Order: sequence, then structure tokens, then C-alpha cells
Amino acid sequence: MSAGVHIIAAPGDIPAPHIEYGQLAPMLIVFGVAVLGVLVEALAGRPWRYRIQVPLAFAGLLAAFVWTIVLAWRHEPFHVAAMGALGVDGPTLFLQGTILVLALVSLLLIAERSAAHFTAQASALPGSEAEQQSMSAGITQTEIFPLMMFAVGGMLMFPASNDLLTMFVALEVLSLPLYLLCGLARRRRLLSQEAAVKYFLLGAFSSAFFLYGAALLYGYAGSVRLSDISAQAGQGAGGETLLLAGIALLSVGLLFKLGAVPFHMWKPDVYQGAPTPITALMASCTLVSAFGALLRVYYVGFETLRWDWRPAMWGVAIITMVVGAVVAITQTDIKRMLAYSSIAHAGFLLTGVVATSRQGLSGTLFYLAAYGFTTIGAFAVVTMVRDAGGEAAHLSRWAGLGRRSPVIAGVFAFFLLAMAGIPLTSGFTGKFAVFSAAVDGGATPLVVVGVLASAIAAFFYVRVIVVMFFSDPEADGPSVVVSPATATAVALGLTVTVVLGVLPQPVLDLAGTAASQMFVR
Amino acid sequence: MTGQEIVFTLLGVVAVGSAVMVVTTRQLVHAALWLVVSFGALAGGYLVLTAEFVAWVQVLIYVGAVVVLLLFGIMLTRAPIGPVPRSGEDDPLDSGNRWAALAVAVATAAVLITVLVMGFRDSRIRLEAGGGGAEPLGGSLFRTWVLPFEVLSVLLLAALVGAIVLSRTDIGAEDDEPGTDIPARTGGPAPDGGARVGGAKTGAGTDTGGRTGSGGSKGGGAKVDHSAEIAGAETDVKGGDGKAGAAEGSRGGADGARGREEGGG
Amino acid sequence: MSVPLAAPDPTLQSFGQDPWWLIGGKVLAIFVFLVLTVLLSMWVERRIIGRMQLRVGPNRAGPFGLLQGLADGVKLALKEDIVPRQVDKVVFVLAPVVSAVPAFVSFIIIPFGPTVSIFGHQTPLQGTDLPVAVLLVLAMASMGAYGIVLAGWSSMSPYSLLGGLRSAAQIISYEIAMGLSFVAVFLFAGTMSTTGIVNAQADRWFAVMLLPSFLVYVVTMMGESNRIPFDLPEGEGELVGGFHTEYSSLKFAMFFLAEYINLATLSALATTLFLGGWRAPAPISTVWEGANSGWWPVLWFLAKLWLFIFFFVWLRGSLPRVRYDQLMKLGWKILMPFSLGWILLVATIRGLRNEGHDMTQVAIWAAVVIGAVLLLSIAWDLVGRGRGDGGEIVPDLDGGAAPEAAGGFPVPPLDAPHYHGVAREGADVTAHKEVASGSH
Repeated sequence: MSAGVHIIAAPGDIPAPHIEYGQLAPMLIVFGVAVLGVLVEALAGRPWRYRIQVPLAFAGLLAAFVWTIVLAWRHEPFHVAAMGALGVDGPTLFLQGTILVLALVSLLLIAERSAAHFTAQASALPGSEAEQQSMSAGITQTEIFPLMMFAVGGMLMFPASNDLLTMFVALEVLSLPLYLLCGLARRRRLLSQEAAVKYFLLGAFSSAFFLYGAALLYGYAGSVRLSDISAQAGQGAGGETLLLAGIALLSVGLLFKLGAVPFHMWKPDVYQGAPTPITALMASCTLVSAFGALLRVYYVGFETLRWDWRPAMWGVAIITMVVGAVVAITQTDIKRMLAYSSIAHAGFLLTGVVATSRQGLSGTLFYLAAYGFTTIGAFAVVTMVRDAGGEAAHLSRWAGLGRRSPVIAGVFAFFLLAMAGIPLTSGFTGKFAVFSAAVDGGATPLVVVGVLASAIAAFFYVRVIVVMFFSDPEADGPSVVVSPATATAVALGLTVTVVLGVLPQPVLDLAGTAASQMFVR
Repeated sequence: MTGQEIVFTLLGVVAVGSAVMVVTTRQLVHAALWLVVSFGALAGGYLVLTAEFVAWVQVLIYVGAVVVLLLFGIMLTRAPIGPVPRSGEDDPLDSGNRWAALAVAVATAAVLITVLVMGFRDSRIRLEAGGGGAEPLGGSLFRTWVLPFEVLSVLLLAALVGAIVLSRTDIGAEDDEPGTDIPARTGGPAPDGGARVGGAKTGAGTDTGGRTGSGGSKGGGAKVDHSAEIAGAETDVKGGDGKAGAAEGSRGGADGARGREEGGG
Repeated sequence: MSVPLAAPDPTLQSFGQDPWWLIGGKVLAIFVFLVLTVLLSMWVERRIIGRMQLRVGPNRAGPFGLLQGLADGVKLALKEDIVPRQVDKVVFVLAPVVSAVPAFVSFIIIPFGPTVSIFGHQTPLQGTDLPVAVLLVLAMASMGAYGIVLAGWSSMSPYSLLGGLRSAAQIISYEIAMGLSFVAVFLFAGTMSTTGIVNAQADRWFAVMLLPSFLVYVVTMMGESNRIPFDLPEGEGELVGGFHTEYSSLKFAMFFLAEYINLATLSALATTLFLGGWRAPAPISTVWEGANSGWWPVLWFLAKLWLFIFFFVWLRGSLPRVRYDQLMKLGWKILMPFSLGWILLVATIRGLRNEGHDMTQVAIWAAVVIGAVLLLSIAWDLVGRGRGDGGEIVPDLDGGAAPEAAGGFPVPPLDAPHYHGVAREGADVTAHKEVASGSH
């Protein structure tokens, strides 16, 4: 295009972009429902909002899930959609389906009304009269539903992003609502607000790393598209420095979202401070989404550079597993302990990434689905054990729970065992899938560390079980509040954990099929 | 060196120099002004690189809006807006991490400079007039990048909703609540009766609005606010004993005005 | 007139080919033109307002008082320049300059006329043009906001600070609506260069084609200029003089200058974007071929410009000042959503036209959509009024939630250090110094 000629545009000389609406429908539905939710907030009267928002959110997530299944069912040749912005392929559809189901289960917790988890009015100062007033007036902050849908939309987009720019936008779309939701806890609001601020500041910081990495990679490859970067790197063109520095910075941004160890500082604080349903959402959906993005970046964009990034990833996986497992032992707060357990699990999952094989990919996919359900179930149980001040967070308060309500304690113990990776639970199958892939990929030492870390982790899981079943209950101990929605969530988590432990083959096959063609590029 | 390169270098020097001033000046408002200079120099850099549209948008958004909002933030909150004297240990502008910050900054700069020099040492990019104009930009934005572009608007919507959730204090009370809406002037001409600069209701500064309110004025202000709200909310709960709430509120408002007058001297 | 009538209308390529003396001459001419416009518009304003208020207005200095502006300027310049002791000196001096300079700069892209011949050079009657010229105007307007907000802050006085903040909030708010009102123009002109926009109005002015945009622009123009009915930043009843309370002499004159130049710039921009720029109005151009060539267009341009300036003055003479919350409500809750809706409509129409749909049908559908939206909003209003039970009117008496003035609205901390801490010691001394000498 010569200078000047383009200034006065002839109408319509930019051809309209081609968007495959059908392929993108799950994402579009979720975003559409979120926008509808905002409209509901604006137009519906206060008494109606909750009643409209909850079915709307459920319907949206369900519709998106059904559509995802249809997309996967039709076995269309996988390709890159929306002008190359998003990849629609097996692993992505598997991840998106997982995210949607997990979001549905989290929504059960978020929509729980009998034991409200969210502040009545986020803008009222903690401890002020205004806060008490809005609480006694029975107001609820229904904006959480559209915000959650925005976050889920971003999560669906994150692993599908085929270029770094789209990925960054998706990262922000998924993070920003989560920052907000973290600060909306009903009890212990200062802790919750602190968590939100920490998450926001550190998240913004890591986004900057991601963006800088993307800029350097653009400088290297002249494109932010993952396949172009891969092609350029394959030719060995350009300066290595830019490429390696870009990969390093980009990885910082991605590993932050997973909570892998040097970048895990936010996780315990945020998981502890956030309202527990949001913690469940973050521990399951965000983790799935972030791993999806990591897998895509490393399997597509940096595939040809495997030998450059694998040693670093080894290191990260090892310290993540070890630190997560060891530090968890010292925790006395249930949610903090689960947060460190989640860090350790991120380490286990990274072994699957290190494998860089089809088997590693399918193992990681399976592990993500299995762990997501287990962790949601565990957090759901945490919301049920309550005393006067809300959830009984401290471990000592859980003493003797096994005698007071054996069912709930038993279920929680089962979740913990699943996390520890005891056979006949989904955790075992998942770990087995990932570790065997890693062994095949030549990462046996890593697997040894992983098994050791699992053993350490089993120690603190068992400790909780011991506290629950073999110590005397406190006189004013917490009571177990069972409400239908939360109970459903727990039941779902339990069922999936059992089924994936006993009969894992169908889902393993599904993950294998999904991974069979790897990612599109 | 061509004239273009000289200008570009000078702009770079200005940008970096003013950026250093941003972090070293002891006046927050001056820091914001140096930031303006830095952004302006960046815009100049874009102009030299023929990205005309980007340059003016940089001026429009960063200089014209972002820093102005920053100034609002400084001037409407309790940030020290006068010169901050050096005061040894409890210097408000010194967190004690000065040297660590310097070391990190220098190290980061060194790494980045090394990377960029090693990456681009030999590359030459030929600039074409109009290459960064509005049309090529629009073309790629609405074609290649249309999806991220549209999703960004979703992000903005989420941020908007979030800002309202976090800052709007009148959300808990119903719209038809009389308590909060009663004139403050009943207590005499409040000196800042007309001082609602871009208040929460207008949407111009929801964020600062909420925060200033929470810790803003001493004396009667903050307390009265709550009492009025409570009055309103009570009427709400009872199902509309409107008059009582109104009376409460007006008393509260009057108190507030008086309190502020006293506070202002 | 030596110029052939067939001299083509300038395009973006016509720029950047002038010799240096011509560029300098153009810049100087624009500068002189602006200063003269300011002097004249001050006189015009006072005379018109005088007439509207059944007074005479200034009629002593020169014929009909024409030199009144000059006399005022000289008086201002000769006054003592007071710099209060507590102010932030650098910023205090910088602020008027920051306010005035962008005002001058914007005018460089205003086209005064078509290509003419100056000493044998064919050149457009315009300082210069850019592909994104209108963005430059917007950017300069937002730079101007700095002058005001900094003046308010550096004076270290509550009135000034409040005035400065008010004004900055106002300018930013209205700039958004203003930018949105331009979008429809860009869509139809296909360019952001002023030359291109004037050329695109050869057949039909955008004021006719895009009437809603034009109306929005006229309102935002008032908001941007900080004049009645939107002159809250210097509302005498509340803030003494607003941001320029502490200013005197030449520095004050600079603000004055900036305000009137902005008036001229906004009027010129309205002329350029919506009223066909230098193109002759319809009856003249249809009857007379040569109306749009040579130096004549300058006349049409000036006529339109002064029409707008008169409009400004007229409004000042007839409208009361609005309340600050009403101002903000208008900007954010009415002008912006309205502009957005209008842009949607315009873009849709434009897209349909590009795809070759029948325009009459599109126009009918557009009318239906507009009608439906209007009906809906009226219905909404009626329902809302029924629900509000008249209660809406009562609280509005004082401008919204008063008790929130402390709790919800950003009130500057009255005990901030620079009002008291440092200031208190020097307070007496300043009082002495101020009236020590001077000619006022």
C-alpha cells in the first residue's frame, strides 16, 4: 500500500473477517449470558435479581457444555477459527468441557443461599453500621453471577488462544473478575480484601511479565501466532537471546497462574481469603484453564525448542512438588493447606507437561478433570463445616468431626485420600497416567521426586483424617450445615472421584482421543 | 545519523530522563507531571516511527486521560499533595527499599538492554510513511484481531461492573429511599455543598469517590452518612415509614454540614 | 483574481509542499487571526449581552467601543503580577502557558479555504493537515485541561483546587461525548483529515445528514469551553473565581485568551465538521459557480464561525448556570449513551449501504428503529415517573444525595497539609505583602 493512497478509504475495502460462530458458540454463549446478567442487574428489581441470575447462569453454562459436546461429537476436522485467534481442537474441547462442568459445580456453591458466602454490600466498610444494615436487610450482591460468567468465558478462551495477544486478553478477562470476586467474602472481610489486593497486584505484575515475553517473542518471530513462532524457531532464525528471554518471561506469566513454585506466593493467601466457592472455582477451573494455555504454548509454540525449556521445567516441577508438599505440613488452616496441596498438584501436573508427548497430554487432561472435581468437593465440604464465625477454618476446630457427623467427615477423608493418590480414587489414576507418561518421556528422576512428594503429601492428608476421627470433639465445635445445593456439589465431586478411580477407562479413552491429534496450529 | 534518528534519540533521552524524575521527585503532583512529559516523548517517538494514529491516541489517552485521573487520585485522597520534606526514618515517600529497588531496576534495565541489543543489533527496519496510520491499524484490528478486540470490550464491561460493585455505597439502599436524599443546606450554606467533583453518582470518579468518602472528612461527615443510610434502610425494612427516615436524614445532613464547616475552620 | 476557477480542491497530498516562508506566513497569519478574533469577540460578546439586557455595552474606547478588548488587554498587562507566597511557583507560572498553547495549536488544522495562489504558489488556505487531524484537536483539548487543573492545584487554595478539579472532570467527561459525536462524521467522510471532511461535504453538510451528532457536538462544545451554562469551574457564587482565583495580570490574561481561543476553535471545528467548512451555503453555491474557489470561501468560513460565536454569546445571555450533578448527568447518562446508540445506527446504515442495500428501505427501517427507541424511552419515563411518585423531584432540589457529600462524594481533605500545616505560619506575612503596592 503506497503512502497516502490509503488515506481516503473507498467503502468496504477491508474485507469482513470470517468468524466461525458455530465453533465459538460455547464461549459466545457464556459471554452473552454474562452480558445478559449485567442487564438483569441494571433493569430487574432487587428481589428478582437472584431469582433470574441463577437459572440464567445455569442455563448458559449447560448450553455451552452441550454445545461443546456436540462440537466434539461431530468430529469435524479441527482447525483455527476466528481469523486465527482461536484453535478448536480435541484438547481444547476437552478442556473447555471440563471447565464448563466444573464451573457448573462451582456455581452450585456460589448460588448457595442458606449459608451465604458473599458480602451483602462490597462497598460498605468492614465492621461498619452500613454493613450490618445491609446484611440485616437481606441484600445480596448478585453481580457475582455476571462476574463469574465473565471469568468462565475468559477461562474457555485462555486454553484455546492460538496467539499470544488473544491469550493475554483471555488471561485478563479471566483474572479481573476473579480479583474482584476474591474480595467479596461475607465473613473475615479484611482478610478477603487483602487477598483480593494481593492477587490483583501480583496478577498485574505477572501479566506484565507475560506481555513483555510476548513482545520479545514478537521481536523474534515477527508474529505473535504460536505456529509462526514455532516455525521461526525451527529454522533457527534470528537471535536466540530474544527467543529465550521471551520464553522465560512468558513462562513466568503462565506459571504464576498455575501457582508453580517460585510464583506461588499468592496462592495460600488468596485461597484462604477468598469466599470458599470462589476458591473452589479458582482451584478447579482456573487451574484447568491455565494448564490448557501452558500446554498449548509449550506444545505448539515452543515445541521445536523442547531441549531448551525442558530443564527449566524440570526444576520448576521439582521445587513445586517438594515445596507444596513440605510447606503444607505446617499449615493449620484448612483452606491454606488445600492451597499448598493445590501447589503440589500443579507440580505433579507439570511432570505431564515435561513429557511432551501425546501420552503426557492425555494424562494431564485426565488429571486436570479428576483433580478439579476432587478439589471442588473438598472446598464444598469446607463450606459446610461452620460455627458462629462462619466456616471453621482452623484445623483444630475440625477435631472430632468424624464422631459428630461421620458422613461428612468420611467424604472429606475420601477427597483427601484422592488427593494423596490412594488407589481406587481418581487421584491415583491421574497420577499414574501423568507419571507413566513422564517415565516414557525419559523423566524418571522427576517421577521419583513426584512419588516422594506424594508420600510427604499423604502425611498431612492423613493428619487431617486423624484429627477428624481420632481426637475428641470440642464442646463448642462447629456444626455441619447441609444444604441441598452444596450437598449436590459434594455428591457430584464424590461420584466423579469414585468413578474415575474405579472405572477410569472411558474418561481415559476420551482424553486419549482428545489428545490424539494434539493441538492445531 | 539522519535527522530522524537524532530526533528519535533525543525523544528517548527525554522519555528516560523524565521517567527518572517521576520516581525521584519529592512532590507527587510533579511526579505526575513528569509522567506527562515521559508519555509525551513516547508519543513523539511514535510520530517519528510514522505511527501517527498511535501517537495521537497516546496523547489523547495517556496524557489526556490517564494522568489526569492520576492527578484526581492524588488531589482527592489523602495522598501528600504538597512537597514532602525529607524526614529521616519515617519518611512517607521512603519505604526503606530504596537500594533494593535501585538494584532491581538497574538489573532489569541491564538485562533488557542486553536482550534488545543482542536481538536487534543488526536489524534495520525501513519506515514507510503511513505504515502506522489509522487505516492499516483499523484494517488489522477489525480483521485479524477482531476477536481479541471484541473480547476486550467484554473485559472493560467486567471492570466497569466490578468498579461499581466495589465503590457504590448507595447500592444497598433502595432508590426510593428518602433518607439519603435530603438537602444538606438546611444546616446553612455548606462550604463544599457544590464541591462534588465528579462524584460517585456521575460515574466520573467512582473509585476515588468511594475511597475518599470512607476516610475523607473528619468530624460529623462519615458518621452522619451512616446514620442517614440507616434511617433510610430502616424505612425500607419496615416497608416505608418514609417520613421518619426523611427527618432523620435531614438532621443527619445538617449535622454533616455543620461538622464540615467546623472541620474546615 | 488570478486563480483559475478550476483549481482543484485540496487533498491531503496538497500539504508539505510549501516553501518555508509560506509556512511561517501561515502560522503567523493564524496567530494574528486568533488574537484579533479574541479581541473582537470580547467586544462582540459585551455588546450583544448589553443589547440583550437593554444596556449599551462598552462604547468608549475607539469607534463603537471596538478597541475595548485592546484596552482591557493593556490594563491586564499593566496590573501587578501577584504570586501568592504558598504557591508552587513553577507550576503556577506554567499553568497559564499550558492552557493557552494547545488552544493556539489546534487551529493549525482548520481549513480556511480551498487552494489559492499566494505569490505564485498554489497552496491550500490551511496551516497543515494530518490524516488524523481531528484527533489532534481532541488531544490538544485534553492538554488544555492540564492548564486548568494545575492552576487550581498550584494556587494552594481550596477554591482554586475545587474549581480546577471540577473543570478537569467536566472537560474529560464532555470530551468523551465529543469524540463520540465525531465518529459518525468519520464514518461518512472516511477520513479524519479536515480537508477530507470538508471535501466530503461538497454535496450535503453533515449537519443535515448527521443532525443528532451535530446536536451532541453543540452541547459538548458548551461543556468543553467552560462557559455558561456550564461554567461551573468558575462559578462565582460558589468558588469565587474557580481555578484562576489567585491569578492576576498577564497570567490571568492567558487564561482569558485561552478561553476565547477555545471558543473560536470549537466554533471553527463545528464549522469544519458539520457546516461544510469553507463551502458556500446552498443557495449561493447553486447560483454562483465561483463561490467555492479563490478567496471567497474565507468569507463563508468567517460567517459560519461568527455565527457560532454569536450562538455562544446568545446562550450566555439567556441561560442560567446548571448544577454540577446535572451537568455530569447530562454528560454521562444522556449524551454518551445517546451518542453510542446513534453511532450503532449510523454504522449499521453505513454497512448496509456498503453492501448495496436499497437506501430508501434502510432509511424507513432506521426511522422505525428511532421511533421505537423514542417510544420505549418515553414509556420508560412514564412508568418511572409513576413509580417514583413525584419523590424524584424533592431530592433533586439540592443536587442528589446531600449527606453523601462527605461519605460518597470526593471532598478534598480540608486538613490537608498544604492548607494548614505549612501555610499557617506564613499566613500573616502573605496578607501584608499582597497590598503593599500596585495599581489596582
